Amino acid sequence: MSFSLLFYLVGFLNLILAGFMILPLLVDLIYKENQSLGLLISIAITAASGLLMNLLCRGNNKRELSHREGFAIVAFAWLSATFFGSLPYLLTGSLNNFTDAWFETASGFTTTGSTILTDIEKHSHAILFWRSLTQWMGGMGIIVLSLAVLPFLGIGGMQLYKAEVPGPTADKLRPRISQTARILWEVYVFLSGVELLLLFLGGMNLYDALCHTFSTMATGGFSPKNASIEFYRNPFIEYVITFFMFMAGANFSLHYRTLKGNLKYLWQDEEFCFYISLTLVSTFIITFVIWENTPESFEKAFRLSIFQVVSILTTTGFCTADFEKWPISAQLLLLFLMFIGGCAGSTGGAIKCIRIYILLKQGFKELRQIIHPHAIIPVKLGGKIVSPDTLSGIWALFFLYLIIFVIASLFLALLGVDLLTSISAVATTLGNVGPGLGTVGPTENFAHLPAAGKWILSICMLLGRLEIYTLLVLLAPEFWRK
Amino acid sequence: MSIIIIGAGEVGYHLAQRLSQEKQDVVVIDRDPEKIRRVQNSLDVQAIHGSGGSISLLRQAGIAEASLLIAVTNSDEVNMISCLVAGLQNKVPRKIARVRDPDYSALLPLFDKDHLDIDLVINPDREVVDMILKLMEVPGAVRVADFADGLVRMVGLPIQEGNPLIGNSLGEIRRKYPEANTLIVAIQRGGKIFIPKGDDVLQVHDLVFSVSARDNVNETIEILGNKRRTIKKVMILGGGLIGLQLAQGLENRDIQVKVIEQDEARCLEIAEKCHKVVALKPDGVLQDVMIEENVGEMDTFIAVTEDEESNVMLSLLAKKLGTKRVITLINKVVYSPLVHSLGIDVVVSPRLAALNRILQFLRRGKILSVSTLPDENAEAFEAVALETSDLVGRPLKDINFPKEAIIGAVVRDSQVIIPGGKTVIRPGDRVTIFTLTSAIPKVEKALTVKLEYW
Repeated sequence: MSFSLLFYLVGFLNLILAGFMILPLLVDLIYKENQSLGLLISIAITAASGLLMNLLCRGNNKRELSHREGFAIVAFAWLSATFFGSLPYLLTGSLNNFTDAWFETASGFTTTGSTILTDIEKHSHAILFWRSLTQWMGGMGIIVLSLAVLPFLGIGGMQLYKAEVPGPTADKLRPRISQTARILWEVYVFLSGVELLLLFLGGMNLYDALCHTFSTMATGGFSPKNASIEFYRNPFIEYVITFFMFMAGANFSLHYRTLKGNLKYLWQDEEFCFYISLTLVSTFIITFVIWENTPESFEKAFRLSIFQVVSILTTTGFCTADFEKWPISAQLLLLFLMFIGGCAGSTGGAIKCIRIYILLKQGFKELRQIIHPHAIIPVKLGGKIVSPDTLSGIWALFFLYLIIFVIASLFLALLGVDLLTSISAVATTLGNVGPGLGTVGPTENFAHLPAAGKWILSICMLLGRLEIYTLLVLLAPEFWRK
Repeated sequence: MSIIIIGAGEVGYHLAQRLSQEKQDVVVIDRDPEKIRRVQNSLDVQAIHGSGGSISLLRQAGIAEASLLIAVTNSDEVNMISCLVAGLQNKVPRKIARVRDPDYSALLPLFDKDHLDIDLVINPDREVVDMILKLMEVPGAVRVADFADGLVRMVGLPIQEGNPLIGNSLGEIRRKYPEANTLIVAIQRGGKIFIPKGDDVLQVHDLVFSVSARDNVNETIEILGNKRRTIKKVMILGGGLIGLQLAQGLENRDIQVKVIEQDEARCLEIAEKCHKVVALKPDGVLQDVMIEENVGEMDTFIAVTEDEESNVMLSLLAKKLGTKRVITLINKVVYSPLVHSLGIDVVVSPRLAALNRILQFLRRGKILSVSTLPDENAEAFEAVALETSDLVGRPLKDINFPKEAIIGAVVRDSQVIIPGGKTVIRPGDRVTIFTLTSAIPKVEKALTVKLEYW
């Protein structure tokens, strides 16, 4: 482990972070809400610490990153980004304790969208802008961004890329890692641009359109409005956001191939087919349940349910309705969807469609094996055999995910939180979704939870975003031995 | 613009590593998922699992935009077919294939524009055979590289114990032999290579690189204290493709050759294809045959079996028994720092030879030929002095040339000039330059030539 290399790279990330902090400062210059001083100090601290780490740890860093250094750098980068990203909240006086600021920032960068703000709209435009912006940065990933802009990361880049990009295998679109990272960000920015335009045309003002675009494309879920998307009561906006949440929950490599080639790539991708089928079936069930049990029209029932299904499945967490008032069957289905999440290589969180799909296939394989005991039946994906290593990796992650879910919800219960809230709060933060059930439902927030509970949940968010291993490996004593 | 490499073996892997370090876009294809994983984990290149002969896979690898295809799998047939398939997909500007079987590689029309259309066919075995034959011409040398169509020769000579030059500085040596038409361009000491100055003193176990006209090489060897002796007896261990070609080549040079080969059929083939070569088939213990056939009396022992570990062990045994020089085939790059300290005189590697050959081919611009030195920290190459170059028109002592590089020889109208401080280089001269890898950018600047890969 080379700490000098670690700090050197984290220093660069701080500089990038400081650069992004200039944007809320510009917002404040427009809205004039007296936040500039706090923001300026945040920028100064972040930039200065970045420069300092960079200068002190320069020197002999021109070598390949080892596997474990890659993991350590990504984990530290996220912890450091969360720490420095919380400064604007604290220094502008929007939040007055570190626990809340850390929770809100972690929820931002990990694109969770759970909030401890009780009255969102009383906060300044600049702070709410920063809140959405953290989601946008975290969505495609701060490491992927730095791979795209820092060419010298090339050699060890694959280690960093693998540690941050979600999914069982990270595929490269172009020979060089920096090219791949740049393409992913280009697709991300392109889709964001289209959404921004559509939301603006749909009647949002530029500020709201920007904030919502940021949190849609990141599958984050922060909204500058207390009532989230319900505020607008505009079917066009709801459909636009549904569509872009769905896009953001699909694999960005696939988007790139589709944009370059043609639409048939989408239907050839088994994960995408599974993802879209899951969305449609869930929507169908919930539409039916709502239509049957409430006085809503069929169109409204369909619109509400597709929005909510996509919002939860892609782990965004926007709301157009208080789904806690829906029948329990609909709520339970949404809770299950929280565990599945979007596709590999998307900005979505949770276990990911591809893993669930492969595990399902493995289940059917075992079934066929009973019928043909001597048959060799490999698990195939896209016409290729899934290697036993990948399979066991998926099983291990699946199991760890559930174990962490069990332990974290048990801890919450020990702190005196009720059953439904404990379970759903952990499911929603571990899956980077946002709203839960019980006392942390779509119209409520996380402010009332005990401080220890907030820390547990913010760790769950980071574990979920970095797919557990990247963060967990730091706790293994062997990791630190020479 | 990208480079597609088919085959992620030792050659493919190191090529990919080298080319990606040179900021080229590289795609590697291999059938072995383990090799693909190794490439994916350690190199900044794209790695694709599958067969290099498959059209759909080549398309996926971006054959449409590729500027170069290098096929270096273990199978000659796959390499040739890959080039053929790639040629059908896209007129890839350049194609390189490794072809080992002499039956194919001798059939030159096969590779021309009308047939397979392969620009460079490399035969690693042939490269190794040529290299060993060249070493045979210069007794005592552990490296030989030719420049300017063979007019200039660089040799690497070890300074052994008892050499009278030990303790002398290069300046003193020059005063002692004012007539010598040779220049010491580099010294490798303890694994490190450096460009010596006049006050650097020779030490025991130094490896001295010296440049001279080819006709003066023997004189150089004498000055550097190695006795001039001709090689008469050679024993070769391993009668595979390399062993056989080597035996034939040495036989043509009137050298007595004994080949030890375990396989009787191979022995028969060697006996059939050679006239005076003695093919030996050991029954039981190989070492006994070596001793029985007087390995200690041999001028050179060459171990070129497929099993590199036993190559090393048996070479050490031969050395112990009194063989004057041992040449050993080792393919694994990881072993290379180890072998010289063990006492093996020369290491040859077909894979490294293939790698060097491809890299030479890819150099572009006014660079005429390149030779990469041990551990790849230094390079010797030949270039044409351009009119725009800083080197031209002034005496060398007035020129601000990088300290980590040196001009070894100048060829003008087929005349070899070993340069001194007063030498003036004229436009059109062919200069042989020895440089440490770190100084390449500076040398490029001085030459106004880019040493980049094509």
